[in-house]
Amino acid sequence: MHYIKAASSITHQPSFQQKGFAADLSPLSVAGEVIAPNYKEYIEGALLRRMGKILRMSVAAAKDVILQADAGQPNSIVVGTGLGCLLETEKFLTNTLTLTGMLPPTAFIQSTHNTIAGQISLILENHGYNMTHTQNTLSFEHALIDARLLLDEGQELVLVGAADESIPFLEEVSRNLLTASLPVLTSGASFFMLDTRVAEATVAIIDVKVHFGAEDRGAIVFDFLKEHDLSYPAIDLLMTPLSMQQQGLDSFGKVFAGTRQHTYLDYSGLYPSASAFGFHMAIDMMQMDRRIGYTLIINNLSANSLGLILLKNCEA
Amino acid sequence: MDQIKQELKKQIIEQLNLEDVAVEDIADDTLLFASDGLALDSIDALELIVLLEKFYGIQVVNPEEGKTAFKSVDTMAAYIQQKTAQ
Repeated sequence: MHYIKAASSITHQPSFQQKGFAADLSPLSVAGEVIAPNYKEYIEGALLRRMGKILRMSVAAAKDVILQADAGQPNSIVVGTGLGCLLETEKFLTNTLTLTGMLPPTAFIQSTHNTIAGQISLILENHGYNMTHTQNTLSFEHALIDARLLLDEGQELVLVGAADESIPFLEEVSRNLLTASLPVLTSGASFFMLDTRVAEATVAIIDVKVHFGAEDRGAIVFDFLKEHDLSYPAIDLLMTPLSMQQQGLDSFGKVFAGTRQHTYLDYSGLYPSASAFGFHMAIDMMQMDRRIGYTLIINNLSANSLGLILLKNCEA
Repeated sequence: MDQIKQELKKQIIEQLNLEDVAVEDIADDTLLFASDGLALDSIDALELIVLLEKFYGIQVVNPEEGKTAFKSVDTMAAYIQQKTAQ
């Protein structure tokens, strides 16, 4: 089994260094700014000035996790991101269109998706495996699967997380292309230290699975639980991006009628890797209420894919 | 010359995103790459090369020239004046 040794999120909610934050959430009606720490406490000035929002959030959250875990260097760093460093990508593309001759290097360097994991490893001076997964709304789940495979191969500590950022152009595109009423577009970064050793009462990851082109989602969830000798009533907490009613999945919601249900997108806002916030929210709720045994996080944000994460409260 | 120096200081701050530095903080002879100056690094050097091309149409093709030109705002302004006069 794999255990959550530390967790940190920089989001639009008071999630940073706030144990029990899940009890103090307010639904977002406007995006506004993320609730950020003083980045200068986490990132040296010369590096900070070159970093866009997504890098600042990610590096600060990752460093906070390292400090909380107090276990030294992770063996690997794995990150999931749906859209990557959008702000720098936009700057770089604008430069290519508007400038003749040489292009400024910073926006190009900072625009690639792997800049997030790369910057974290450079700042930590970590020479281990470093990887970025980009799988739209299941980017975080893919990063989590990779991290678990590394732990299964003998590594002891893996830093895993996900981040995405919103830029005004994204809002313009969504206004023109999307007709459905969706939560506000936001930014967020969540990072976690996974450990193979259980040192205290903590949350364990039992399983993570992803499905594409999933049609009978009820059957997939049923089979997923069955693999672990569980049935619907065994789940104490169910986390979904939106309510079953909002997603037109009333009948599916009924099978979990006796289960405590929470949504996370109303609080995180919409970004491709928001399930990482849902993951942190679930962990926080489980740590605050040890009576929650099993938690199932269903990520059905995209109509064509399904992510499933099963968590369990554990004692040392 | 003084106008070029003032413009240069603004452009350096903006182009290099020197968040905590104001125009008044940069003296004409402040060393740009020294640790007791602005402490710029190699990526900043590339940004300065782009800055000269973008705002002044000057291409720094000889690295040795760049070493001298990028010492301070004074030397950058002199370099710009020399190149634009050619």
